[in-house]
Amino acid sequence: MAMLEDFRLLEKNGFRLLPYKLATEEDGAVAAALKIGYPVALKVVSEEISHKSDVGGVKIRIRDEAGLRLAYKEIMDSTKGHKVDGILVQKMARRGIELIIGGRKDPQFGHMVVLGLGGVYVEIFRDITARICPIAEQDVEEMIMELKTHPLLEGARGSKPIDRAALKRMVLGVCRFMEREDIKELDLNPVVFDEDGGDIVDVRFTR
Amino acid sequence: MDERLRKLSYVFKPRSIAIVGGSSVPNKIGTVLMKNLIEGRFMGDIYAVNPKYTEVLGKPCYPKVSAIPKAVDCVIIATPAETVPDVVEDCGAKGVKGIIVLSGGFEEVARNDLADRIIASSKKYKLPIIGPNCLGVFDPYTRVDSIFLPAYKLERPGPGNIAFITQSGAVGSTVLDLSAHYGMGISKFISYGNGTVLNECDMLEFLEKDKETEMIIMYLEGVKDGRRLLEWMKTVNPKKPIIAMKAGKFGKAMAAARSHTGNLAGNYMAYKAAFRQAKVTEADDLQDLFDFVKIFNQPLPKGNRVGVITNGGGMGVLTADAINAEGMEIADFSEDSKAALKKILPSYGNVGNPLDLVADAGVEAYDKAIEVLMADSGVDSLAIVLLTQTPPIDERIIGVLTRASDDKRKAVVTISVGGTYTEAYQRALESKGVPSYNSPVSAIKALHMLTNYSAWKGKIAKKA
Repeated sequence: MAMLEDFRLLEKNGFRLLPYKLATEEDGAVAAALKIGYPVALKVVSEEISHKSDVGGVKIRIRDEAGLRLAYKEIMDSTKGHKVDGILVQKMARRGIELIIGGRKDPQFGHMVVLGLGGVYVEIFRDITARICPIAEQDVEEMIMELKTHPLLEGARGSKPIDRAALKRMVLGVCRFMEREDIKELDLNPVVFDEDGGDIVDVRFTR
Repeated sequence: MDERLRKLSYVFKPRSIAIVGGSSVPNKIGTVLMKNLIEGRFMGDIYAVNPKYTEVLGKPCYPKVSAIPKAVDCVIIATPAETVPDVVEDCGAKGVKGIIVLSGGFEEVARNDLADRIIASSKKYKLPIIGPNCLGVFDPYTRVDSIFLPAYKLERPGPGNIAFITQSGAVGSTVLDLSAHYGMGISKFISYGNGTVLNECDMLEFLEKDKETEMIIMYLEGVKDGRRLLEWMKTVNPKKPIIAMKAGKFGKAMAAARSHTGNLAGNYMAYKAAFRQAKVTEADDLQDLFDFVKIFNQPLPKGNRVGVITNGGGMGVLTADAINAEGMEIADFSEDSKAALKKILPSYGNVGNPLDLVADAGVEAYDKAIEVLMADSGVDSLAIVLLTQTPPIDERIIGVLTRASDDKRKAVVTISVGGTYTEAYQRALESKGVPSYNSPVSAIKALHMLTNYSAWKGKIAKKA
């Protein structure tokens, strides 16, 4: 299963993912959620489905067993006709500021890392900045300051500043990962940061 | 590459030049090239190479380069692509030091076989080659000129300290023409076309050591080795500021892009990242390019606090707006400065920043105000607005502003907005090397670039 292999490769490279477990039947999903702890998210795992949420393959903020059983059935229902490998049960991410951290192997410049404001408006605002790998912490600091929305990260309107050190570690980690594993394209989108750290919500990369 | 780059200096300072394809038939490229050298007063020996003649425009002509009895340092080739590899090989065997190939018809039309033969000869003889498919070089110090556009159609700038390297001949020649028009001197012009043997990275490496060059303008369309470019920009930019312009920013969306990052971060994003990483100043268009270039003869500001002097209130306000919009600061003048400035102003004047000398102000008021603010440690740079239209202003102001620009305690920009009369002042100021702008926004943007460059060089204590 490509998705789990991807997860394992990320973990091997030092990324901490939200606790997850693959379930292949409803009771297994309930047991997994109990172990992980609510709230959780469910995501369909299928080689045939690339945009999971477009086909109703993602359910979030599930708070209890009843909700989980319902969500499980709904996902299985809406993905009928696809070959489904299972359902991923994953700890729900924190709430906070959504960012995108990505990377690309440029034909002329090689691996580069991208940081930007994430979320649904990412294509509209295009508030992104990039660097050629490898980079140092100072480069990440400059990247953050180049974002038009950087005041958001510094705690606009009463919210606390995000865990900047964790963000820097993650960007540096992406750079190292891109180079070490020779990644063609990568998206951590979104990653959610608050004052205590950041969670990777979704991952996609191609080698 | 070392040996080839060492020999590249012969292309700019040759004792002799041979033009392959040299001719006297009107409007032929080979004729323009001969005339460029002869009428441009190139001081070394000039030969033509053309089997049809024994003499061209009074210069000896030979059937091939190796038939020239004396040593030849530089050869300019303007014959069809198919003939070029043999000519290059002949040059190598003769001991020519450097070659410029103007002819097109190589990689750009998928004739890599011809390009490969040139590369082979270049390696064999350690021969530097500029081109093919380019305009070659112009050096105002030695008058080497391989630009096949006649001088009466395309002005050549005088000697200066700015080198210009360009992939495109068309953009390159335009910049050259405008440089001459604005009175901006250059050290070297290099159009390298396909960059088959020597490309932009080699040029940066060469210019790093070039004595006449203190600043570099770089026009790029695409590069082969982005990593190497980044490394050379990092090496050269702190010593000789680089202003880069990238064309082709909005190419086709990448077919392979499946991720958000792939969609968002196209190829230009990589260039931009590299410019940022090397702290290279990026110009978005030719106007920016000239605006930015002019200010780099000024000392690097220690901070972003700007003092504004004006003889017209409104223009001062517009300048203050531009300062705020660029994220720079309006300086607070010291108490000493304020006291000194009060003496300069008429009784009804107010000391503030912008400092409005009012329309009655003459040349002396400018002179004194500039001196006061030059000594104020709370001011990092000066934006001097000059309304040339007021009665007391006359040509003596050129001297005052030139002194301010040459003072070198603080960076100075001058802003004069107006028509033909004002333009004449601007030209006069520019000819003295005074950064002169016709809009507050372009002046302050340029000042901001210089201030950024200065900050990058670590002259500003990092903001906490």
